[in-house]
Amino acid sequence: MRGPIIAALLMAAALSTTAAAAGQIGRIKSVAGAASLVRGKTVTRAAPGQLLQVSDVLKTGPDGRIGVTFVDNSRFALGPNTTIALSTFEFDDTTHAGQFLTTLNRGSLAVVTGQIAKENKDAMRVRTPTSVLAARGTRFVAQVR
Amino acid sequence: MRPLAILALVMALASCASDRVALLGPEAPGGSAGAVAVLDPATGAERGQLAEANTEAVLGGGQIRTRPLTRHYDALLAAMPPPAEVFTLYFVEGTTQLAPESAATFEALRGAITPTSDVQITGHTDTTGDPAANDALSLARASEVRAALVQQGLPVANARVTGRGQRELKVPTGPGVSEPANRRVEVIVR
Repeated sequence: MRGPIIAALLMAAALSTTAAAAGQIGRIKSVAGAASLVRGKTVTRAAPGQLLQVSDVLKTGPDGRIGVTFVDNSRFALGPNTTIALSTFEFDDTTHAGQFLTTLNRGSLAVVTGQIAKENKDAMRVRTPTSVLAARGTRFVAQVR
Repeated sequence: MRPLAILALVMALASCASDRVALLGPEAPGGSAGAVAVLDPATGAERGQLAEANTEAVLGGGQIRTRPLTRHYDALLAAMPPPAEVFTLYFVEGTTQLAPESAATFEALRGAITPTSDVQITGHTDTTGDPAANDALSLARASEVRAALVQQGLPVANARVTGRGQRELKVPTGPGVSEPANRRVEVIVR
């Protein structure tokens, strides 16, 4: 009776480990000024090298800036007084199929698109309070004041 | 009370009037500027698009009108991380032994990895031998590169390591062809 339960627990543990490893979607590369990473209810000071997951929120203060790279080679620069949420990120690094939705609540975000935008039409999106921007392989800036 | 109310109204108007998007030129000369489409968030209908470098548009409910850039983004772009670098290492046929001419590339790779790098290591083979054995060989080559970097004290123990076997030939060949350019490990450093 106990054997199968333990086996099931071990399998669940193995699956969640895989999910955690696969859940890393990008990394903070540079930080200047006041900047934080919000994950669920936990707020930490943003620091270079930090790994990012879906649903993470990045915030900068009046003097803050953050540079980010993603596993599909997309790159972000966040300006001061900015809040973004990494709302959706799915990427298959064999086929390059995927989708990427970022929500820009306020501030400024510069984007260099990567494999997701290259391989999937309108799959790289930035949502602002009034609009959805669909990147078709490009470098652009969105601003919300 | 009244001046405050007017101030609040002015601030509210100012805050909803200034969503904007700017399409910049390609990062490297000669690249394409691409395009950015502006979609209605509720319906997904396309309101317009920016398709020319160095143009901008104010975002709102209506039609999108583009115009030349009215500001520059140098300070913002200074925070943009550099593009990923790709290093290709070649191997002696049927082995996980680095080809002597790749020693310099390995040195350059060593120099490029920092504690904040994101490293992805992908192994490949040519078409000699059995495809299943090539899957194993390609993974062994990639693992060997990671082990060599770890031995140099570089922080790549958590790097993503995969073997693609003979699925992604650099130089297309038929089956059973010994091709040095295909016996490789590609390392992406972000």
